[in-house]
Amino acid sequence: MVVSPYCTIGPFFPASFVEGHDDLTKYRGGVARGQHIVLSGRILQEGGVPTRNTILEIWQADSNGIFSSCTGADPGFSGWGRARTDAEGWYKIRTVMPGGYGDRCPHANLMILAIGLTRRLVTTVFFADDPDSVRDPVLDCVKDADARRRLFATRENAGQYRFDIVLRGEDETPFFLD
Amino acid sequence: MSRRYDPYDDGTQVARYIDRYPLSFTRTPLAPLVPRPLTLSEQTGPAAAELFSVGPMDLSRKAADAPKATGQLIQITGRITDEDGSPMPGAVIEIWQANSAGKYVHEMDHHNAPIDPNFTGEGRLVTDAEGQFQFFSIKPGAYPVLESGWWWRPPHIHFSILGRSWMDRFVTQIFFPGEPLNETDLLLNAVPDRDVRERLIFQFEGTSMGEVNAMGFRRDFVLRGRRQTPELD
Repeated sequence: MVVSPYCTIGPFFPASFVEGHDDLTKYRGGVARGQHIVLSGRILQEGGVPTRNTILEIWQADSNGIFSSCTGADPGFSGWGRARTDAEGWYKIRTVMPGGYGDRCPHANLMILAIGLTRRLVTTVFFADDPDSVRDPVLDCVKDADARRRLFATRENAGQYRFDIVLRGEDETPFFLD
Repeated sequence: MSRRYDPYDDGTQVARYIDRYPLSFTRTPLAPLVPRPLTLSEQTGPAAAELFSVGPMDLSRKAADAPKATGQLIQITGRITDEDGSPMPGAVIEIWQANSAGKYVHEMDHHNAPIDPNFTGEGRLVTDAEGQFQFFSIKPGAYPVLESGWWWRPPHIHFSILGRSWMDRFVTQIFFPGEPLNETDLLLNAVPDRDVRERLIFQFEGTSMGEVNAMGFRRDFVLRGRRQTPELD
C-alpha cells in the first residue's frame, strides 16, 4: 500500500498538546532514575533567524540505555517528550542523560515540525565529552568533521546542555534521510 | 528487528519547496539529507496510548451534557494500517481544526473571526483492535493566511498520529471534497500527481438521519513500515 502524504503541522498546533510533555523525568507517578538534565537551545532558520512556534519531539533511552517499550526499562521514564519554541526560538526539555548501549553512544532522537516544513525533519543529538573520539553507526554517517561536531550537545553547567538546531544556512544541522 | 522502514518516496509526498510559500525556502535544509542505518533507537517508540488521556470523542461539544458548537455536524471515520495493510491498533490520533467560522483557539491566530465558546477544535483518540477510529466534529470554516495577502486555506482537519515507532510518526492535514478553495491551496496542490492529492481529501460517505444527523466523511491512513522479509536479516 502507498504511504499517506505528510503535510505541514501549520501554526495552530494546540498548546494543550504540548503542555506537560516537556518534562520526561516524571512519568505515571514515578521519578526517572539517573542524572536529570535540561536540554535547551534555539531553533533557527536561514540567516540565523529564530523560529517561533516550532514543535520539537524527542525519543531516547533511559539512563541505562533501555527504551521504555523494552523489558527492564525505568518505569518512571517515558522516553518521549515534546516542546515548542518561544518568540526567540528557544526550546527547553527536562530529561535524563541517556545511557549508551551496544554500539550506540548516548544520544536522543529529535524531530522538528513547523510551518514551512511539509515533512518532519529528523536529527540526533549526541552526548560526549570528547566528540571526536566517539564511534556510533548513525553519527559516523556524517562525514564532514564540522557537521559531525554540530550533532553534539554542549555542556554549559552541571546538568545543563545546549543544542541549537539550524534548519538551513551557515552551520546547518545535519538531518537524516527520512 | 522485524520491521522495515524505507525512506519516503518523494513521488508520494507533498513537495518540500512550494512557490509563494516563503517559509519553505528559509527552513528546508540546503545539505542533502544523510542516509543512516536504522537501529533499535529509531525503530522503537513510546506506548502512545499510555502517554495521554484518550477516549471516544465528540468535538462538537465540550462535554456530553454541554451545548453543541455552531456549524455542520460531521462524522469522520477511518482506519490506520501499515504498508502491508496490517491494521494498527493502539495508535494515538491528535486532531485539531478551526471552528465553523474559520477560527482556531490559538494565540497565533489573528483572524478576526469569532471564537465559538462551545468548541475547542482539539482532541485525542486511540485506534481500536482493527486500527479504526471515528469521531464527531463540526465542519471547519475556511480562513485567510493574513501575512500572505491573498491565500485562503480551504476547510481542513489536522491529524498527528503516534503509531508503532519513531519511524512511523506522522502529521498531515485532510481537506474536504468539492471545496472551491481546494483549487488554489498551496499545500494541497504541491503534490506530484492526482492520486497523492486524493489521499489528502476526505471521501464523502453520505448522510445519517435519526438520532444523529450528520454528514459522513472517511479517510484511511497508511503509515510507513512493513514486515521485514527473513532473507534480508
